This record gives sequence, C-alpha cells and structure tokens, in this order.
Amino acid sequence: MQGGSSGIGYGLKYQARCIADVKADTDHTSFLTGTLSLKEENEVHLIRLSSSGTELVCEGLFSHPNEIWDLASCPFDQRIFSTVFSSGESHGAAIWQIPELYGELNSPQLEKIASLDAHKSKPKCILWWPSGKHDKLVSIDEQNLYLWSLDTSRKTAQVLSQESSGILHNLSGGAWDPHDVNVVASTCESSIQFWDLRTMKKTNSIEHGHFRSLDYDSNKKHMLVTAEDESGIHIWDLRKPKIPVLELPGHAHWTWAVRCNPEYDGLIASAGTDSTVNLWFASPPRSDDLSSESFTESPLKRVDPLLHSYSDYEDSVYGLAWSFREPSLFASLSHDGRVVVESIKPYLTRK
Amino acid sequence: MEGDETPLDDKAKRMRDLLSSFYAVDSSPFSPTNTTLDRAHSFNASPRYATLDTINTASFDADRYMNLLAQKSNLDSLLRRHFEMAAEIKNLDTDLQMLVYENYNKFISATDAIKRMKGNIAAMEVNMEHLLEKILCVQSKSDGVNNSLYGKRDHIEKMHRTRNLLRKVQFIYDLPTRLGKCIKSEAYADAVKLYIGAMPIFEAYGDSSFKDCKRASEQEVSVIIKILQGKVFADSESIQARAEAVKLLNQLNFPVDHLKDEVLEKLEQVLGDLNLECGEIAQFKDDSNESSKEEIIPVLSPKNSQWVSTSEFVEAVRAYKVIFPDSREQLIRLLKALILKHFEVTQRRINKRISSTDLLEMLRGIWTNVLMMDEILPEAAFPEFSLKAARVAIEHFITISFYRLLLNISEPLTKVQSRQKEGLEEEYSFEGALAASKKSVIQDSMSVLLDFRQLLEENLGLLLNLNKLIIEWVHQGFQDLFNKLDNHFRSLSGLNILAGGVTECTQSDKLLPGLVLVMAELSKFIEQIAIPRITEEIAVSFSESGARGYNSGPAFVSEEICRTFNSGSEKFLHLYIKMRMKKISAILWKRFTAPNWVKHKEPREVHMFVDLLFQELKIIGNEVKQILPQGPPHKHRHTDSNGSGSSSLSNSFNNDKMIKSTPHRTRSQLLETHLINLFKQKLEIFTKVEHTQESVYSTMVKLSLKSLHELVRLQTFNRSGFQQIQLDMQFLRSVLKETAEDEAAVNILLDEVIVAAGTRCLDPILLDSPVLDKLIQTKLAKIS
Repeated sequence: MQGGSSGIGYGLKYQARCIADVKADTDHTSFLTGTLSLKEENEVHLIRLSSSGTELVCEGLFSHPNEIWDLASCPFDQRIFSTVFSSGESHGAAIWQIPELYGELNSPQLEKIASLDAHKSKPKCILWWPSGKHDKLVSIDEQNLYLWSLDTSRKTAQVLSQESSGILHNLSGGAWDPHDVNVVASTCESSIQFWDLRTMKKTNSIEHGHFRSLDYDSNKKHMLVTAEDESGIHIWDLRKPKIPVLELPGHAHWTWAVRCNPEYDGLIASAGTDSTVNLWFASPPRSDDLSSESFTESPLKRVDPLLHSYSDYEDSVYGLAWSFREPSLFASLSHDGRVVVESIKPYLTRK
Repeated sequence: MEGDETPLDDKAKRMRDLLSSFYAVDSSPFSPTNTTLDRAHSFNASPRYATLDTINTASFDADRYMNLLAQKSNLDSLLRRHFEMAAEIKNLDTDLQMLVYENYNKFISATDAIKRMKGNIAAMEVNMEHLLEKILCVQSKSDGVNNSLYGKRDHIEKMHRTRNLLRKVQFIYDLPTRLGKCIKSEAYADAVKLYIGAMPIFEAYGDSSFKDCKRASEQEVSVIIKILQGKVFADSESIQARAEAVKLLNQLNFPVDHLKDEVLEKLEQVLGDLNLECGEIAQFKDDSNESSKEEIIPVLSPKNSQWVSTSEFVEAVRAYKVIFPDSREQLIRLLKALILKHFEVTQRRINKRISSTDLLEMLRGIWTNVLMMDEILPEAAFPEFSLKAARVAIEHFITISFYRLLLNISEPLTKVQSRQKEGLEEEYSFEGALAASKKSVIQDSMSVLLDFRQLLEENLGLLLNLNKLIIEWVHQGFQDLFNKLDNHFRSLSGLNILAGGVTECTQSDKLLPGLVLVMAELSKFIEQIAIPRITEEIAVSFSESGARGYNSGPAFVSEEICRTFNSGSEKFLHLYIKMRMKKISAILWKRFTAPNWVKHKEPREVHMFVDLLFQELKIIGNEVKQILPQGPPHKHRHTDSNGSGSSSLSNSFNNDKMIKSTPHRTRSQLLETHLINLFKQKLEIFTKVEHTQESVYSTMVKLSLKSLHELVRLQTFNRSGFQQIQLDMQFLRSVLKETAEDEAAVNILLDEVIVAAGTRCLDPILLDSPVLDKLIQTKLAKIS
C-alpha cells in the first residue's frame, strides 16, 4: 500500500489478531488467519503464497462463529487447526477441520472436530505437540492448564489431566518446549511457569516484568525468548533463570509477540503495538564475556542487534508467524486486518 | 741499410740488456717509444763507452767481445781501439808497481819499532820488586793493631747491650705512670703509642717478670679505652676527635665493629623515634583536620620540626660516615629507610586529602634532604632512589585525586539512594542532588586540574622528569574517571544486570526513578558541558603528551567519553520512562483485568484509576520539572492540523443523535476516521524523546494512553462499560489539556481509546453530553 513496501500484502475484512503458519503443508507456504469482529461474522482465511512468490492468494475462506483470539495450525494435518474464541460473555476453544471439498462449495462450513469445553475460565491458547503426529494437546485458560488427548478420526477430545496455576495467577499464554516435550511454559503476568506434563506440576519459574509473549528457540536447547510490556525482549538461558542472557530494546510501546526463526540461529522477529515489526539478530555473549571488564567496552564493540524495522503498518501488529517451509519468510498481521509477508533475505547477509 | 736492420736491432737489444744488467734496471720500462729512441740515439753516439763498460763486468767474455768488436768496427776504429787498450794496459802496470813499493816501505819501519820496545821493558822489572816489598810491610803492621784492640771492643759491645735493656726495663716500669700522665694531659694518642710500643715485651714477659707492671699499664689502658669510648659516643665532641678516638680504639685492638653496631643501632633508634614523631604529626594533622581545617599554623610547625630533626639525622649520618668509614652500606640503608619513611608520611598525608601546594612543600623538603644525603654518600644514588619514590607518590596523589573527584560527583546520587532506603524519600530533592553533582563535576575537576598544573609548573628536581608522566597520568585519570563514573551510573541504575549479577537485580528494585532521571541529565551535562570544558583545559595545560599518549596507556579521548555518556543519558532516560511506565501499566492493568466489563453497571462517576493515573503523571511532572531543563515550545502546539481531525471525531461522538439514528453508518464512519487518525497518530506518538520537561512528560502521557488503548482492545464491553470508558477519557482530556504539551496527539489518543472501546462494545451508545458534563464537573469540583 505504502511506497517502498517490500512485503506482499493481503487484506482481511475485519480486524484481526492471529496468524499461524500451516506447518503441515509442505508443498506451499500457507498461513491461517482469523478475524476478530464483535458483531460481524468472523472468517478464517487460508492464505497461500503464489508459486511466483509475489502474491498472496486466498485459498479458502470459512466462516467462524465467533471472534478468534487465538489460532494454531495442526503440525501434522494441514486441514486441522485450533481456535480460541469468544463472543460477548461466552468463550470457548475448538479444533476445526477444513472441509475436503471446500473448493467446490460456495460458502463452506468448517467442520468442528472437537470442542475443548472443559475450560472453567476464559481460554487463552492451545498448544499442539511441537512436531510430528501426536494426540496430545495443551490448552491454557486463565486459571488452568489442561492436557488433552485428541482423536482426529473419532473426533473426540478428552482431558487427560489438568492443574490450576494457583490463586492470583492469571495465565495468558504459553509455549511447548520443542527440545523437551514434557515441558510447557506458560506466561503468567509477572512470571513464566514451567510445567512438567507427566506430573502436571510446576518445575520452575522466572520472575520478571510483565510477560506478554514467549517462544522457545527451536535451534538451541534451553533458550527462551520473552517479550515484556516495558522491558523489551529478553533472552533466557533456562539453566540460569535468574537473569536474562541478553536484553533487546524491543518496541517503542509494548512488544506483543516474539518468534524465533525456525532455521536461522539467533534470528528473532518481534511485533509491537507501536505498529512495527522488528527483526533482531541476537548473539548471546559467551559466558566469559560476562565479566564486568568487557562490559565497559561492549557498548562500542557490539553491533546493533536490530537488523531491520518494518514500520509499514498502520495499526498495532499482533500476529506474527515464521514460515516453517521457507524460513526466510514471515507473515505479520496488524490489527486493521492486513497480512504482510516479508522476506528477510536482504538482512541475512548482515549478521 | 735495410739488410743491416736486424743485426742492428739485435745489437741494440743486447746492449740494452747489458746496460740494464749493469745498472740493474729492468728492461721493461723501455717499451715507450720515446725512451727507446733516446737510448738508440745514445748508443749510436757512443757505442765505445758501452763496450768498455762491459769489460769491467764479471761476466766479461773476451772472445765474444773480440768477435763483436771485429764484426762491428771498421779497421780505423779497431786500430784506435788497439792503441787505446795498449795505453790503458801500460797505465795499469805502472800503478801496480807503485803499490808494491809502498808496502815494502811500511814493513821496514815496523821492524824498527819492535827493536826499540825490547830495550825498554828490561828496565821496568827492578821497580816492580821494590813495590812488593813495601806492601808486605804495611800488612804486618795492621795485623798488630787489630790484635791489640780486640779484647776491649767485646767488652764495650756487651756494656752497650746491657744499657739498652736497662733503658727498656725502665720504660716498662715507667709505663703506668706515663700513661697516667698522658691521660691527665689527654694525650691519648701518645699513650696509645706508648702502650703499643710496650706490647711486644708484655707479650713476651708479661706473665713473669713484668706482671705487676703489665697489670698496672693495662689498667691505665682500660681507663683510656673507657675514655675513648665515651668520646666516641659523646655527641658534644668534634667529629675529628671522635674519629680519632675510633682510630685509637682500633689500634688498641678494641672491637670497633661492636662499637659501630652499637652506634648504628642508636642511629636506627633515632630513626625509629623520628618515625614516631612523624606519626604524631600525622595524628596531629588528623586532629586538626577533624577539629577545623583552618589551623594551618600548628600543622606547619611540627612539620618544620620534622624537617629539622631529619636534617639533624642526616648530619649524624655524615658524622658517622667520617667516624666509621667502613659503614657506608649500613648508612645508605639507613638513609634509604629515612627517605622511604618520608614518602610514607607523604603517602599517608595524600590519603588524608592534601593540596598540591602542601604536597609540593613536602616534596621540596624531602628533596633538600636528599640533596644533602647525596652530598654525603654520592655513590648511593639517593636522587634516583627518591625519584622513584616520588613518582610513586605523585601517581598515588593523582589517583587519589581522581578517586575523590569520583566520590564527590557520585556522592549526591548515593545520598539520594541511601535516603530512600531510610524512608526519607521526600526530603531530599533530586534537584539538589543534580545541582550538587553538576557543580562537583565542573568545579572539582577544575580544581583538580589546577592542582595538577601546579605540579607541572613546579620545577623541583624531583619532579622535572615526571612532567610527561604526570600529563599522561592526568589524561589517563580523566579517562578512567569518566569510564568509572559511567559504570557507576550503570550499576546504580541496574543497567548492567546482565553483567553484574543478582545483587544488582535486587538493587534495581529499590531504585528511584527520579535518580535515573538525574543520572540521565547528569550524563547529558557531562557530555555537553563538562567534557568540552575539561578537554579545553587539558588542551591548554596538558597538551605536550600528544605523541606519547598514543604509545602508552589510554589517553583522554573526549569523543569516546562523549559517546559513552551520550548513549548513557539516552539509556537512563529510557530506563526512567520504562520504570515509570511500569507503575502506570500496573494501575491500568489492574483496572482493565479486574472487572467484568460485559456486566458493567452504569457509570456514576469518573473511575478512581484516573486519579491514580493522574497522580502518577503528577509525580512524573514534578520530577521532570526538578531535573530536566525546559525545552523550546513544541512545534505541534501551534499546528492544529491534527487536532481538526480529532475534533470532528469528538463532535461526531457528542452528536449522539446521529449515532442513534444510523448506528451502522456512524460505525463505519468511525472506523474510517479512526484509520486516518491512526496513520497520523503513529507519526505523532513515537517521536524521539528529548531531554526536556515537556518531551518526557508528554511521552509518558502518550505511552500511558497508548497502553490504555491496547488494554481496551483486549476487552469486550457492554454499553455501560463503554460509557464508563468514555467518561473517564473525557475527564482525562479536560485534565490533561492543561498539562500535556502535545495536545493534538493526546486528543487523538483519547479519541482512539473511545473508538477502540466502541468497536469492542456490544452496544456502543455514547453517554449523553449533559450527563457527561455533569459527571465531569462533579469530579473536577471534587479534586479542586
């Protein structure tokens, strides 16, 4: 839309918050987005990057009964995804399947595989098993953590176990550790809690500012990236949870989402409410660099970790997803419903 | 002629050879044509001479000569040659005859002389016999005399020996009395000489015949030794006398080394006492420092006495050097210890804050003493030794000065922090701290520079070689100072949590946001005012080291420091904003997560969180006003281009009739305006924060409102909830109008919040403006 924009745009009809990479689609670079409209009929868009890579094509448009607050694509079946939704006072979470014949139908309906309706409070997000086909699902609502067993063929979902986060802890999101599938991290206002899914007990926690988003580094074990309201982006080594390994300035206002690149080590994208997406290259200092001596020199030596700032947005950017298929691409979604797919290739050489 | 050419050549050649063999000249030099021609010419002119010459040589071959002659010469010349030769031969014969006659003559005269000698010798024999007779007679007479004198001589010799012995015995017996006399007349040298003279006898017969005598004289000698010892130790005696005494004692085989050790021990003791004295001075200085700094005179006087005693000590050393010439090493050691002691005192005084004038005074004193010592023991190289020590002292002085400077600058900040810990937060103004720190940055560093300049200007021998080093130290000192200051700020603010560790983390929790702002401003001040001034000052008086600075140690690089502080001040400013935003965020977060907005009751009054928010902003405003400078009037204040968009929006909001009648159309219109605003607002909100009251304050307001906006978007409202938000925002608008600088942006943001609430509302109907006004008025009345 604006001059000088390098990204490929796609417009949704309504405001939207969530976008997800369709990881299971190995033939195309696809993304799923869901709109967030209180009164209109909400939609889920299946967007595909054209083979020429210059256009975003709508592959499917499905109506969704409620406004979508969270959306995640199933890692092993490209037609399955999960949403967390609400309408007015009511809220819920469900697993959906895109109908097989949707190309022929005029206004195809999504098929609800399972409704995750055991939630006692407002559901926040659904986490799929990190990779490969597995029946386990984790859902997080404000007070509880649930472990589900999903049977996609029989279209049932059962709560295997659940655990309360404790009083005065409002869970807001989470991430599944790709290196240790027994661990799920959840953001909980001013702390991050780590859960062992086998026992459903808290194993560890990080106390810091107000956590907004978190993501595991899929390239490096023990590395976790978090976004906080006031303090920008922090990179943690989970073996040393007291102080962050690295701090990035983040955004002018809140940093809403952080995502680690699935392939390039240390490459982080962050989206903020200052209507920008920032691309960072975080090189955590080696442990011997931590001495105070080198610290005095480091401001001069250390290169700016900010590789690029995409500022071509008109509203806060909430949705951010790397393409698993093409790790040099990411999709961002600003609140006004605009999807932009950007390539980071021009900035890769700089790191 | 042509046929004769070759024989002629041969001949010439042979002639030449012959000639050359005669003159023993090498034939090779004849190669040049000129000389050959000359030669040839001379041969042609007088070939005869040449042939004559060959006759006289040893290798003369008569046949060949004849052949040659016959071949070469014509008849005339042969004839002439024949006559010549015949004449020559005749001449030679005559000469030979003459020689034979002369020889014969000489032989005859010799025979005559021999005949005459024979006659003379016969007459001599009689005389010789006569002489022999007389000699024999003399010999017999002398033997007679010898015999008659022999007996008496023996006797006389015996007598003589006895007399000598007697005299010696007499001397021994007299020795004690003589020694006594010598003691009385204080002629100790004579006494010692006498005693030493008698020593061999005492050694030989001391145990038998002269026992008493020996004892008596030993007694006397011991008296002498005692007296001498006393003399050595007596400071009243002249140095020569004492040296003499030592020499005498040495002659008496008295253990001088022991004596020397004793003396040196005493000297060491004196040194120890000196030290004590110095300690007292230091203590005294302490007291005077504590009681009042103006008591300069009592401070100075003991110092003087200290110098006096030092010079006395040096004098003593000089004396001992004369007295015990072989004790140099110990004396050098002692003097070095003395110098070290002086520097120790200096060091101690440097530790207790000393002006460069005082320091110079002390160094000057030390130098005088050192020069004195050098005079006494030049080989000990005291000047070099003390130069080294002075170098250390000066370096220490400079380091301490910078350390103090650092303390002075950071003290106000630390004070603020510590007061906060005691719970007296409100009592100490950040303004005061900032002013104090600023002042100390400029004034103290200037005075430090002045001090150092004094050091430079002093052309004391001790410091002459140190000028370059001093300049280097000053450069390095400033570099270190600012680096340390920056580090200090960072650690105070907890910015280096990453590097520091857990302790810093806890500290940052207690950190006052105001203090961070103070540091931001102070960093800015240092960067923009202090460093240029210091750089200028350094350039004026400490510039010589330019070339050297690069080689050794980090020179003062103002650009680098400026950069550090620039980034520091930015960081602190952001940290401040971050810290303050944390609090505001907490308020807002609580407000929006706590109630169930879908079941909100009708708004009755402005919600309390607005008060809290406003209170927070007020605190920020106060801090900002205390610490930051006022900026120039903001440009956006006058341009109403942004405001117009918002006012149309608020108008449309106030015009609730329109919304009621065509809700759908209004909503889409709202969205449109909202989009337009968003674009503008994006440019407005996140401008670079400047170091001015207005900029920081309005940034805080804008960030708060943006947070509000984002939080509203996360909720779903019923009509009452929406109206509550509308009410709160309108109230904020009326309150912020007076304080916020960027009114347009604030207006847009407030509208933005309402719009967001509208889109998130199930039933977006605005509050009637009379009701709205009434509620706002009540609230305003309440707070005023």
